[in-house]
Amino acid sequence: MTELLTFMMGEYAAEIPVDRYYAKNHMWAQSSEAGFRFGFGAYAVRLLQDVYFLDWSLDAPTVLKQGQMMGSIESKKAESDLFAPMAGRLTQFNERLMEDPSGINVDKYGAGWLFEIENETISDAPMAGLLDPQQYLEHLGDVWEVTQRTIKGQVNG
Amino acid sequence: MGKRIAVVISQGQSQNPKKRQLEEDLVTKLMFEAGLDVTVIPHLYDLKPDGTGILALRGIKGDFVICSWLYDRAARWILDRAGVEGHEGTSLLESSADEDEEFEEELGEDDKDRVIESRDLPARKIYCLDLRSHDSVRPYVDEIQRIAKEATVSTVDLMGWIQGSPTENQLQQYLNEPATESGVQTEQAQTPGSPDQNESQVVRVEEQSGRRWYPVIDYSRCTNCMECIDFCLFGVYGVDKVDTILVEQPDNCRKGCPACSRVCPENAIIFPQHKTPAIAGAADLAASLKIDLSKLFGAPEEGKSAVDMAVLERDEQLQLAGRDVVGDSVGLAKNAEGDAAQPKDKLDNLLDELDSFDL
Repeated sequence: MTELLTFMMGEYAAEIPVDRYYAKNHMWAQSSEAGFRFGFGAYAVRLLQDVYFLDWSLDAPTVLKQGQMMGSIESKKAESDLFAPMAGRLTQFNERLMEDPSGINVDKYGAGWLFEIENETISDAPMAGLLDPQQYLEHLGDVWEVTQRTIKGQVNG
Repeated sequence: MGKRIAVVISQGQSQNPKKRQLEEDLVTKLMFEAGLDVTVIPHLYDLKPDGTGILALRGIKGDFVICSWLYDRAARWILDRAGVEGHEGTSLLESSADEDEEFEEELGEDDKDRVIESRDLPARKIYCLDLRSHDSVRPYVDEIQRIAKEATVSTVDLMGWIQGSPTENQLQQYLNEPATESGVQTEQAQTPGSPDQNESQVVRVEEQSGRRWYPVIDYSRCTNCMECIDFCLFGVYGVDKVDTILVEQPDNCRKGCPACSRVCPENAIIFPQHKTPAIAGAADLAASLKIDLSKLFGAPEEGKSAVDMAVLERDEQLQLAGRDVVGDSVGLAKNAEGDAAQPKDKLDNLLDELDSFDL
């Protein structure tokens, strides 16, 4: 395994491999031939826990705007809509997850990837608005408070 | 022949082990109830038109109960769209969705003509139970027993064709399905071979189908106003021989787009898989029990009107289909006329002020 950074979510250490980039919506991004492959990072998977259901509201290939709604996810603990981490051409979804979305839990940084987005006009990660591991670690420090409040607020409310 | 009643269990799309367990527990319990014919089908909404699952459902002639992971309104009108018609059976299953009836009554109080009043439905009842109402099987079994007692009409033996009396059409359809893709398995509760009439039978219909996306119309709400056919630019809607609106080409629908349901003045258009309960067929806005992480995962701030959202969603789909966007210039004529008669609101005044500037 490659080098790791860790972010402490309470007792839990979320591992952040340094061989890739991160989107603010807690997806990782790894360069592929013409763009990026995305998946859920440890922070997101920890919040979700066991994933039961994944549904895309789009068919690949298609053109995405940054922040566009793409689908939804349901897990043991939570549910969420899913949004495009960058603009570009969505080339494929990970079909293996459609039958069994628990691949996200089993191998989030590998076989449990979500989808790939190409964008010829974006040549590097910073252009795509992606963060490097150190920047992402700082981002997590900024949002951890809000995350806890969101969860507590909904559980109590 | 005794009075048998059919019970259909529509499996969920989710791999949630609790959901799977509930389905199987229910099947097991029902197998040992006398006089029930249990059919297990894949997720009702995803069944292929004229596939094995739909044919099995059309083969049910009398009253029946369907348990699905769908709002009862959604299940009922999906069935209706698939040609499985009947009157609404009133379920006494207590759940968070119980305001349904009150709401329906409220709707019924006005003097608008609903399409359902002009339709000739077969004299049988369909009871739709939402599997999300309870975590344990007991309430479902109790309710199914109650319904079975209530059902006075003698039902035709469910799926008689599997045991040797198929219609030509059913037989062909069944034989033509590749064995690996779909199939029907029969389980007997007790001694196989010579099934007793009192024994329950479980039929499992398998069908390999991808996820589908299309609207279904609740004709108990629909007034045939044609707003949807005017608004949708993808040819989903059509009219039947007597000019009643129908979902003519469901698979022309654009995946994820619920725009027509937002412009429907009667909230009669259901997208059973949409995340918003009101669009998915809930009569009330039952709160979800799970934590919504959408805001953390990048959801934009809300605050648009239903029509604004519908216009945006439609433009998005037009763009995806490589067509020109139309904004609010198409299909909203009736709304616009209505607006003209209204007194001006703050926004109108603001726009008037803007117009008066010499820019």
